[in-house]
Amino acid sequence: MTFSLNMTVSDLLLLLPEIFLTCWLCVVLIVDFSLPRLPKERLAYLSVAGLVVTLGCLGWFDLNHISGTLFGNMFVLDRMAIFFKVVILGATILVILASIEYVNRFTLFRGEYYCLVVMAALGMMFMASANDLLSVFVSLEFATLGFYVLVSYLRDDLASNEGGLKFFILGVFAAGLLAYGISLVYGETGKLVFSDMTSAQATPGLVIGFLLIFASLGFKIGAVPFHAWIPDTYHGAPTPVTTFLSIAPKAAAFAILLRIFLVALVTFKPLWVSLLVAVSILSMTYGNIVAIAQRNIKRLLAYSGIAQVGNVLIGLAAGTKMGSDAILFYLLAYLFANIGAFAVVIAVSQAIGRDEIEDYRGLNRRSPFLAFAMLLFLLSLAGVPPLAGFIGKLYIFVAAIKEGLYTLIAVGLINIVISMYYYLIVVKQMYINEPVDPSPIGISGPMKAVIYIGLAGTLVIGIYPQPFTDWVVSATLMFANFVGPSATVIPPGPPLGG
Amino acid sequence: MGEYALLYILFAPFAGALGLIFVSNRQPLLVRSIAASAACVSLVASLYIFYAYDPAKGGFQFVQRFEWSRQLGISLYLGVDGIGTPLVLASSILLFAGIFVSWHIKDRTKEFYIWLLILAAATIGVFMSLDLFFLYFFYEMSVIPMYLLLGMWGSHTKKYLEMTDPEGLKRRDSVGFILNFGSNSKEYAAMKLVLFLSAFAVVALMGILLIYKYSGLNTFDILVLREQANFMNIPVLGTTLDKIIWVLVFFGFASIAPLWPLHSWSPVGHAAAPAATSMLHAGVLMKLGHFSIIRVAFEILPETTRELMPIAAVLCMFSIIYGGFVAFYAKDTKYVIGYSSSSHMGYVFLGMAALNYISVSGAVIYMFAHAMATGMLFAMAGWVYDQTHSRDIPSLGGLSNKMPFISACFIVACMASIGMPGTVNFIAEILIIVGSWNKYPVQVIVAMLGIVLTLAYLFKMMRGLFYGPMNQKYSHAHDAISTVDRLPLLIMVAVSVGFGIFPMHLYDVVRSGVDPLVSRITRVVPVAEAGEELGVRGKATTSEKTSASLSVHKPISYTSQVLREGRE
Repeated sequence: MTFSLNMTVSDLLLLLPEIFLTCWLCVVLIVDFSLPRLPKERLAYLSVAGLVVTLGCLGWFDLNHISGTLFGNMFVLDRMAIFFKVVILGATILVILASIEYVNRFTLFRGEYYCLVVMAALGMMFMASANDLLSVFVSLEFATLGFYVLVSYLRDDLASNEGGLKFFILGVFAAGLLAYGISLVYGETGKLVFSDMTSAQATPGLVIGFLLIFASLGFKIGAVPFHAWIPDTYHGAPTPVTTFLSIAPKAAAFAILLRIFLVALVTFKPLWVSLLVAVSILSMTYGNIVAIAQRNIKRLLAYSGIAQVGNVLIGLAAGTKMGSDAILFYLLAYLFANIGAFAVVIAVSQAIGRDEIEDYRGLNRRSPFLAFAMLLFLLSLAGVPPLAGFIGKLYIFVAAIKEGLYTLIAVGLINIVISMYYYLIVVKQMYINEPVDPSPIGISGPMKAVIYIGLAGTLVIGIYPQPFTDWVVSATLMFANFVGPSATVIPPGPPLGG
Repeated sequence: MGEYALLYILFAPFAGALGLIFVSNRQPLLVRSIAASAACVSLVASLYIFYAYDPAKGGFQFVQRFEWSRQLGISLYLGVDGIGTPLVLASSILLFAGIFVSWHIKDRTKEFYIWLLILAAATIGVFMSLDLFFLYFFYEMSVIPMYLLLGMWGSHTKKYLEMTDPEGLKRRDSVGFILNFGSNSKEYAAMKLVLFLSAFAVVALMGILLIYKYSGLNTFDILVLREQANFMNIPVLGTTLDKIIWVLVFFGFASIAPLWPLHSWSPVGHAAAPAATSMLHAGVLMKLGHFSIIRVAFEILPETTRELMPIAAVLCMFSIIYGGFVAFYAKDTKYVIGYSSSSHMGYVFLGMAALNYISVSGAVIYMFAHAMATGMLFAMAGWVYDQTHSRDIPSLGGLSNKMPFISACFIVACMASIGMPGTVNFIAEILIIVGSWNKYPVQVIVAMLGIVLTLAYLFKMMRGLFYGPMNQKYSHAHDAISTVDRLPLLIMVAVSVGFGIFPMHLYDVVRSGVDPLVSRITRVVPVAEAGEELGVRGKATTSEKTSASLSVHKPISYTSQVLREGRE
């Protein structure tokens, strides 16, 4: 299928999911203020309905191999963009379902909450499709804008305000870095589209420019040394927002990182591998070691998230087609495990009102289902078979060992053991210690649905990963042109869904 | 059913665990019967494969293969040879017995059986994996259930409560908890076990990943790797790659075995675990180490194995002696049995290190025999603990009046553990000692000393528990009377004595697995010794091959003679 550079109606088809979601966002907003008596949870279901339709539309694109670029290569819709959009939309749906109960804590603007979440999702969908530096900047700021508000949504809570302020200041700082980096790169090469930069020379200006761009994306994914905002923001933000923040922006930023490193900078691979190795080792080790000392479950998951990003960066450091497959697969596994774990945190804090690890004492006696779900999610994050996280870690290690990154793998393996310690401390509280207050904990319907989806994803991907690996392999086929063939040839599988 | 037998053995416990999720804890009998029937399916199917396994044909039988991940070259590839078959049987016997041993657990029965079934199924999975990925997959999967079993249903050692400071609970929850070496709490034992085993498991995983990379075959299939992969003569870090891989794999897996300097998690874990878990832990989980070393290091790196296996021969002496002496001075029944297990695992390493047909067969049979013997001991230590809530040997005594059946079984178990003729342990021990004498006489003498030590500490424990004056505090203790309580012990006694009297099928099965393995290891000529010319190497290989095939038949008659003499 070819597309002319002139905009036609059929070109707009590529933008259909975004256009639809924008319209839907307006519908939700209009419904919210025109029917003030409407229970706010109806709005949640209304937003979810729109997101599900968008998801269906993307699925239809994927099955029919619809792809192309728009606006002079600024916007690209390929299978990888579709993959990331699906992940982002899936995360958004689960987050909205998980927030229905929590929203009652907000004193004001309950309806707008859902609009802001969908708006952030919309921004991240553009991030997944960004194919040049300008659209990266615009979409990134668009997505972050929604989060600035969402993080400080608990107006009367000091921690939430503090988290929001930290996030805002550092976020704006990162945006400044990004803009400066883009201007340097544009000044050196005169190009903005990633695929045009492959022939550029490694001048100092270009290197500094890309380092600045990497730093600002590092803020988004929360890699060490750009992680400083993560613990406080995760701690202070309303838990559903933390959930959202812990997966969707990271996935979207990784879409951009993949395009930058494997397309634009593919010729400079020897230069950036050591940078990524260093950042990855620092993130894993720092995240895991500091997580040991945490007493708050949200902070623990924040630090574990830093460590998980370090793991994903191993795949990026491999810099091969297989490395990018592994990243996509890992993010998929991480999506279910992380959202599931945060859903349990939300459910427990609804009942207890606190998120200290001590409050999980004897959770197994109070709610066997929640404890079991949390156990599986934490073990999946730790990378224990037969759960999704294990396959994800192994996939990444296999991709990296093919490139001979032994030190990185050794550090990654040691970190698995370190992380197991603090995950097991939570397990110990839930299973071994006796509860102080043995009253059972109830779970609302939507929350149960979220946890069940998380469990299903974690177990199915872990036990039967073949369809998912096929999916990620076909999603990153575009990199096969840019990245040299990997050490071994990957036998072609049947195209997914024909 | 024949060809799918392995699937039944592996997936029956998983299916049982899955079924148990939907049963309420308020119906304990239903919970127990689901667990027991899942274990029963497993047991029947493994008896079937044990007797249907054709030793004359040898090789891997009942093979099942399902592609699992094309991109990574992984398939669920199951099959048993003469080494895996008895171990699968031992695992399912111990699972079945363990379910009856823990029949009286009242707290969270359902969860207990779920984790026990998953633990056993994962162990069984390792014994039948022909794919490196799944071997590691099941290996790592068996570790986490141990954490929960120890933590939730385990017990602190006696000293633990005395050692608690006023704020003890708070301190153990903190960072310092992991460094709190004086602590004998079950939480400490569980965490130590998991971290220790995971730490060494990732060492082995590094070795496995190196095998995967340097074979260049994009597969984890052990059979393909052993035929086609070549890791020799790749210089790395001043040595060769094959040695690095071998050391990673060996020490990675030897930690669970447990070889001497890496054993410290094991007795602590045994002491904290509930009876059924200790049985599975000492009975089969520890054998995962030896088995994985055989599967990975012996199969894929035969030449390096011959070169480096003396390491094991040296370390196993320390295992035997150190474990024996600590067991002699230990005051806690489970510590005694735990250290005795880690001491006895030294015999297996000795048999493996000698690398000839007799000693390696002996090592494999010893794994089977030890599973039964130690299973019995732990089951009875568990029974005594349930009745008296004490594992402190000096404070117990005279229990034979109260529990004649248990004390009779205990004598049998001690005899089996020592290796009295008439039990299968005797056959295993004599094979190891006869087989290793030529190569490692010093170690054999140490092993003999170890037998004497075993005699000493087991008799000391038996006297402490069952004879002498009775502590009136324990006058309410009673014997195992019901069928449910007696069944597990009777099964293990029957297996131990039965195979002791009729060992030939077991021996044939094991030999059919050991022979090709040992002939692969002894036949291959190292490149350094073969000289430059290819012709020399080829000639040497063929002559070695003929001598190897000759020697296959000779030792059988020799050993059966030994066996016959032994029985008389």
